[in-house]
Amino acid sequence: MFTLPILSQVLVNGLSLSAIYVLVALGFTLLFGIMRVVNFAHGAFAMLGGYALFYAYGSLKLPYPIAVLGSALTVASFGLIFEVLVYRWFYQKMFQSMIGLMGLNMAIVFTSVMIWDVNERSIPAAASGILTVGELTIPLDRLVIMGITIVVLIMFWFFVTKTRHGLAMRAASQDVEIAAAQGINTTVIYRLAFFVAIFMTALAGGLYAQTYALSPFVGERPLMVAFIVVILGGMGSIPGAALGGVLLGMGESFLSTFYGAAVSSFVSFGVVVTLLIFRPWGLLGKPE
Amino acid sequence: MANQNNVSSVAGHPTKVALLGYSPWAWLGAIAAMSLLLVWPLVFSNKFYITIGTMVVLSAIGATSLNLIIRTGHVSLAHAAFMGVAAYTCVLLQLRLGAPFWLAMVAGCLASGLLALILGPIVLRLTGKYFVLVTFLVGEIIRMIFVEWQSLTGGSNGIQNIPPGLDLMKTPTGFYYLALGAAVLCVGIVWRILSSEIGRAMDAVREAEKLAASGGVPVIQLKIMIFVIACTLVGVYGILQTYLVQYIDPSAFNMEASLNLVVMNVLGGMYYLLGPVLGSTFLSALPELLRGYVELQRVIFGVILIVVMAALPGGIIGALGALRRLYQQATSGKTT
Repeated sequence: MFTLPILSQVLVNGLSLSAIYVLVALGFTLLFGIMRVVNFAHGAFAMLGGYALFYAYGSLKLPYPIAVLGSALTVASFGLIFEVLVYRWFYQKMFQSMIGLMGLNMAIVFTSVMIWDVNERSIPAAASGILTVGELTIPLDRLVIMGITIVVLIMFWFFVTKTRHGLAMRAASQDVEIAAAQGINTTVIYRLAFFVAIFMTALAGGLYAQTYALSPFVGERPLMVAFIVVILGGMGSIPGAALGGVLLGMGESFLSTFYGAAVSSFVSFGVVVTLLIFRPWGLLGKPE
Repeated sequence: MANQNNVSSVAGHPTKVALLGYSPWAWLGAIAAMSLLLVWPLVFSNKFYITIGTMVVLSAIGATSLNLIIRTGHVSLAHAAFMGVAAYTCVLLQLRLGAPFWLAMVAGCLASGLLALILGPIVLRLTGKYFVLVTFLVGEIIRMIFVEWQSLTGGSNGIQNIPPGLDLMKTPTGFYYLALGAAVLCVGIVWRILSSEIGRAMDAVREAEKLAASGGVPVIQLKIMIFVIACTLVGVYGILQTYLVQYIDPSAFNMEASLNLVVMNVLGGMYYLLGPVLGSTFLSALPELLRGYVELQRVIFGVILIVVMAALPGGIIGALGALRRLYQQATSGKTT
């Protein structure tokens, strides 16, 4: 059962799942950490990312890197409309944001049902070959997913730690009022953080829909994942989101390969509920 | 006498003439609403409208029972899952063990209450967003158990053709009056709790938990008690709803169903008992009347939720109250 080829398969699947999960959760935790909104519409933006990739890569046949980044950028720019119309009202209002954004989720998902019906579509894979190294076989499309994610994560890390806007964003996430008093334009920083968060979510949604299937309801799973990962790592903590994403991705890949998908869901939910009860601020978060 | 009260309420002393703390207008409204509910099936003999009436009064049970939990400062997203526990218990007891309906129904409600008694002490220690998240996950876990325990629950296909539990359930009118009776009983229980000393203790806990505790309110015990009562009551809704559609499957008890109950509260106004009653009337009648546009109505609900949360946190009741204050300001401005 635990032979090297199978274990390596589990590892590769786990890493590509982790990559998607980290992207989803980073966007979620960014919105929570800076604006204090619990983004229940997160899955809806992931779903829109899926449809954008479907058109950019499946229909327009753009080169893959352009299609995948371009579709995420398109969704993020489109998302700014919602930032102005909806999100702005809910900044720093945690409870209202939960219910209001559940409403936004419902509105986006069912508008999509009206536009694209409920049938599942598939996005062609980016690469179909298999890489064989000794006993290990690695599907190329998984490698592509990991590669894109790593590039985006490095860009994100560079942006947050090395640029002035990144510094301003970190300052705002620590204390908005003090940051504003130091001359940081919080409206711009909020909009920037929103853009970055939706970009990563839409990217993850595209990769997720490509790995599985695309339908208006494809966002449910990423939303759930974002919750679990962010609770695991600690709400608002960026390293926490990365750690949680890898833990969930690897755990899920391992458990569902050896014990089935149901066991894997029960275990991940059970772990998170237990963690919430004993350590609600998560593994790397700070107690309030 | 009514005239006198009218004058006093304009002057800003609304409770001078009051029966049990309610103005004659409130009593008049309650009596009018009750008589409308009583004659509803006689006025509309159409089966469709009677069934809509049944769904409205049933959902009022669900929304008001959730209101109990909300009044202690917790928003539960697992409420529909408790509904499901009661419904599955009742249906299985009746179908597999041949238990009489009343017994099965009581057992079903007790089952969801018992589950609340087990889970309550654990989850109620969390507050605010953590409580919302943990109940969201607990609700999903319970729903997954319904899906995975196929030998017992029939998995995601559920159980079809559930026979009527009582003779009363065989006609739409009979079912309507049964549901109305249950709703009046449940809403009455909730009203009695909220207007008692326990209700005031709940308000205190919601507004300032530590202060309430130092004032001698047993906070966690109170929360658990309310949680158990609310989950027992929502069992009535789950069971009757299942027997109304004669079909049970896990999708009826998912997050969206819980969310619907929250929406009823938010839309109507969370901090008045009338809020969830109004919200449930609106939210369960409208979808039935707009059957042809299922997606569009979901979009509209979503937009309503956003607008209510962004602009009117008090819901319909809050908006009415604000209008009334505006009106009073305008009239008092004229006289002085």
